[in-house]
Amino acid sequence: MWSIMHASGSWPWSPAKPLGGKADVSDWNSLRDQEDEFLDVIYWFRQIIAVILGIIWGVVPLKGFVGIAVFCLINAGVLYLYFSSFQQIDEEEYGGTWELTKEGFMTSFALFLVVWIIFYTAIHYD
Amino acid sequence: MMLRWLVWAAVIFSAVVTDSQAFPRQLCRSWCGLEVEKKKETITESAGRQQKKKIERQEEKLKNNNRDLSMVRMKSMFAIGFCFTALMGMFNSIFDGRVVAKLPFIPLSYIQGLSHRNLLGEDYTDCSFIFLYILCTMSIRQNIQKMLGLAPSRAATKQAGGFLGPPPQAGKFS
Repeated sequence: MWSIMHASGSWPWSPAKPLGGKADVSDWNSLRDQEDEFLDVIYWFRQIIAVILGIIWGVVPLKGFVGIAVFCLINAGVLYLYFSSFQQIDEEEYGGTWELTKEGFMTSFALFLVVWIIFYTAIHYD
Repeated sequence: MMLRWLVWAAVIFSAVVTDSQAFPRQLCRSWCGLEVEKKKETITESAGRQQKKKIERQEEKLKNNNRDLSMVRMKSMFAIGFCFTALMGMFNSIFDGRVVAKLPFIPLSYIQGLSHRNLLGEDYTDCSFIFLYILCTMSIRQNIQKMLGLAPSRAATKQAGGFLGPPPQAGKFS
């Protein structure tokens, strides 16, 4: 997974335009694998953000729906910047920005809530 | 503290057990589904009957694998259902009426029925075990399945109509 997050900011290989706009049959499986791999990166990146923000929100503490709203904004915003500016991928290849935005979002939200609740309870509640 | 670790262990156990049997079938189904899609995309007007027959054969294979997958899944669903029922009964008796955590927010009114279940008082930041258990199921269990490679593939997720993340588990996924 980490090898995909290329420091140069570009995708480590170049499937950006798959063979003249239409995937060749022989490259179909590798194209699918690349797409799945990138979506996995997005997914795990979201989980990491959820854990980090949950810990910070629990320690500070940040309370109320403001915390939830800020989490959603940061989660969506950071990932959007990652795949549009840093990786510079074509969102249409993955079904649009919405598909990339919702990849792993609910799981990361639940994880964020769990971590936030546990840290808040452990540190600020007797 | 010990009891909280019991809850975590139960969530992790159910995550690992779920779908472990169905994984090879699921992989086969996803592969068949992809093969069908691949063939449909490459067909041209002049492909003729041979291509169409190949597609029909692949679709037949896909249907068979779907059926086999459902059979295997049913067994794991029963096992999971039994585990959950037993665990829920046990945890209900242990944690019933006890505040297990403090919420840093006040939940929406229709969630309060879950988060403040069987708790005394009007302080809706008190959290009952069932709310935390559900959140753990949605987060830790999903992540463990994905980590161990037991989560359904994206092709299978799309067929099941998964929304906003990996599909819901045993009992809902077909």
